[in-house]
Amino acid sequence: MSTVPVEPPLRVRGLRKAFGGLRVTDDVSFDLAAGIVTTLVGPNGAGKTTLFNQITGELAPDGGSIALHGQALLGLAPWQVARRGVARSFQDLRLFGQMTAHDNLLTAMEPATGLWQPGGAARQERRERVAQLLEATGLAAQAQARAVDLSYAQRKFLSLARVMASRARLWLLDEPASGLDRGSYERFVALVRGAVRGGVTVCLIEHNLDIVADLSDRVLFLDRGRLLAEGTPQAVMGDPALAAIYFGERAA
Amino acid sequence: MLAYLINLGVLVGINAVLAVTLNFVMGYAGIYSIAHAVFFGVGAYTAAFVALHLSASLFVTLPLAMLLAAAVSVALALPALRVRGEYFVAASLGLQVIAVTVFSEWKSVTGGIGGVTGIPPAELFGRAVAAPAHFLVLTLACLGAVIAATTLLLRSAFGRSLQALRDSESAAQAAGKNVAAIKTLAVAVSASLAAVAGVLYAHYIAFVNVESFTLDTSVLLMAMVIIGGTGTLLGPLVGALLLMLLPSLFSFMSFLPPTEISAVQQIAYGATMVLLMIFRPGGLVGGNARARS
Amino acid sequence: MLLLQLLVNGLQTGALYALTAAGFSLIFGTTRVFHLAHGSAFVIAAYVFYSLAARAGAHWSLALLGAAAAAVLFGVLLDRVVYAPIRRHEGSFFTLFIASLGSAIVVQNVVGIAFGRSVVTVSTPLSRSAEVLPGVFVAPLAGVAIGCALVCFWLLQHFLGTTQRGVALRALAENAQLVRAYGLHPARLSTLAFALGSLLVVPAAALTVATSGANPAMGNHVMLISLAATIVGGVGSLRGAACAGLLLGMAENLALWRLEPQWSEAVTFVVLLGFILVRPTGFFGRAHAH
Repeated sequence: MSTVPVEPPLRVRGLRKAFGGLRVTDDVSFDLAAGIVTTLVGPNGAGKTTLFNQITGELAPDGGSIALHGQALLGLAPWQVARRGVARSFQDLRLFGQMTAHDNLLTAMEPATGLWQPGGAARQERRERVAQLLEATGLAAQAQARAVDLSYAQRKFLSLARVMASRARLWLLDEPASGLDRGSYERFVALVRGAVRGGVTVCLIEHNLDIVADLSDRVLFLDRGRLLAEGTPQAVMGDPALAAIYFGERAA
Repeated sequence: MLAYLINLGVLVGINAVLAVTLNFVMGYAGIYSIAHAVFFGVGAYTAAFVALHLSASLFVTLPLAMLLAAAVSVALALPALRVRGEYFVAASLGLQVIAVTVFSEWKSVTGGIGGVTGIPPAELFGRAVAAPAHFLVLTLACLGAVIAATTLLLRSAFGRSLQALRDSESAAQAAGKNVAAIKTLAVAVSASLAAVAGVLYAHYIAFVNVESFTLDTSVLLMAMVIIGGTGTLLGPLVGALLLMLLPSLFSFMSFLPPTEISAVQQIAYGATMVLLMIFRPGGLVGGNARARS
Repeated sequence: MLLLQLLVNGLQTGALYALTAAGFSLIFGTTRVFHLAHGSAFVIAAYVFYSLAARAGAHWSLALLGAAAAAVLFGVLLDRVVYAPIRRHEGSFFTLFIASLGSAIVVQNVVGIAFGRSVVTVSTPLSRSAEVLPGVFVAPLAGVAIGCALVCFWLLQHFLGTTQRGVALRALAENAQLVRAYGLHPARLSTLAFALGSLLVVPAAALTVATSGANPAMGNHVMLISLAATIVGGVGSLRGAACAGLLLGMAENLALWRLEPQWSEAVTFVVLLGFILVRPTGFFGRAHAH
């Protein structure tokens, strides 16, 4: 590992967003380090998904900065942010319901706007990659099934596969593992860990504390728009004050 | 009888082109436009003007009509697509209303309310396509070409992008798709192919006037696509055929006063649209598949 | 003086537009249904008023009551019989839009068959205009129109701002869960929204019949204006829709100062398109968080 200082994959500084009087993001600053899994935790309404939305460009912050490998992301449209190498999954999945699993992945590899795409060898390569991803996520048999017709677990894996298809180096996953049974969960963890070993930077939003402890290398605790703590899962989740906030025992 | 069938065939064919092209944006891209008659009109008026002043050759009128319709549609789409889908309907409504006024007032080009008469027959390789039977072949050939073009596009990466943004615009953005540009392109394609119908119409009837390009027409076209079934290949064809046969069907019902036939027709397809949305949103062909997921 | 006359006409038209626009905005803002058939409620109210006042010779207050009953019944019917089943099947915005469009087509043509397509009016002693200033004619009906609009708005503000049902209506658009938590039914509130929204068109419809007359296709124009006003004023803001309705009524009339009459409808849409381009959230609209 080289010791030359490099720009972290994601650097957020002083991010602010308010709706009327409500501050949903209140002076948040953090870095996402490469090669590890960072998890955002916090009670409901803490502003975790809102934070993701600002990074991906869906929501414009009121102030602060976001830099991807040193390049500013503010002001870019979501599709431009995506093309810079940021992929995200949604809590409500938002799959391309009427399209087949195969096409859901294929289209994620074809971002060009025009009426044609690079053909020939590139096309063959895309189709092979789709087949590989379907295999890796256990969806090979469902390749021609429409996304709306898949089971819950299958849809969750398709959502992950769509992120993997994009070749992005930064993944923002919003509750990707919720509701998965044990076997599926293990498969999911293996896929994420495999990607991280391959150099992808992963940031999750997760509510399930077991998953947090299991999968995260680093935890960021968010409450009412403010970043209260960051550190190892044990340090953050072991803090009694934070636990009280998380479980809603704080005084009103 | 044969003459009647050929005439019906040409009119169904022309409307089928319009329905197929409207389905392209409505059923596949999820863009609801109530201004489709405008592009039909632009195509027709362009063909009329060019045929009278320049050349009646289809190799001249078709490209010019298609280009102009595409340009008008882009002028609408570029600003209107920046806002949510629901507002696009309102914007297209605005375009339709303004277009009718322009068609009625721009006397030097559109002949005003009187319209343009004496349009020469279409010319293909120097020979006029005047006989109705020949024109039917021409119409069916154009319909075939439009169906082929739209099908090819839908099977391509562009088609996948369109369906992705129909199914979930935010997820499509997150997957790197420039949604506004894709929608604009889709609208331009739809409009330019709709202009083909306009060219055919202008040469066939040899007379165009604003009455054919009003809001009522746009609504009828929308009804064809909805009733036939959005997002399917057969749907717009079925819809066009059915709604074009309605007038003939109603004229057989002698208990209906002839002045009210058009109103009864409209009631028929209005009621059908309501019932379909409640019980079978996918239309006749689509079944229970939701018109939009 | 033409300008002054146009200004007065504009105020009268604008007041009526403000009412119908507020009705549409209330419905669309709370239920998110693109109720294109709102114009049909207007047509129904107008023709019932006409039937009772002119054909049956009833007193105008009775005719108004009849029109109100018919409009409210229509709005509620559409909500329960057409929109509710569609929403149960997770009806999308556009499925509802098409259903609404179909309903509007049916109403327009049924009315056309029943009453004919020419303009019908009801003449009242209030319709006769008096020359208030040299070259400026105003009918007492204009004052009635404006007064009516103001009273209705005051009542509406009061209802929405202070009563429990009213507040819940406003909350419905934001958060149906919250509404349920207070023991209220979103479905019943939705019906209330349709009833209220449809009621708002009644004074405007009656006044229109008494001034410029009614015809079956008038619903289209009313609908276009209500839609334009709701967007220009900002979705979710009744005040905005009303102000925009007033603005559009003024613009439509003032345009006559320089343009031919056939361009006046186009003016409305140029304004609408301009707003969509420049400020899609309208004057007072809330910016949509995705």
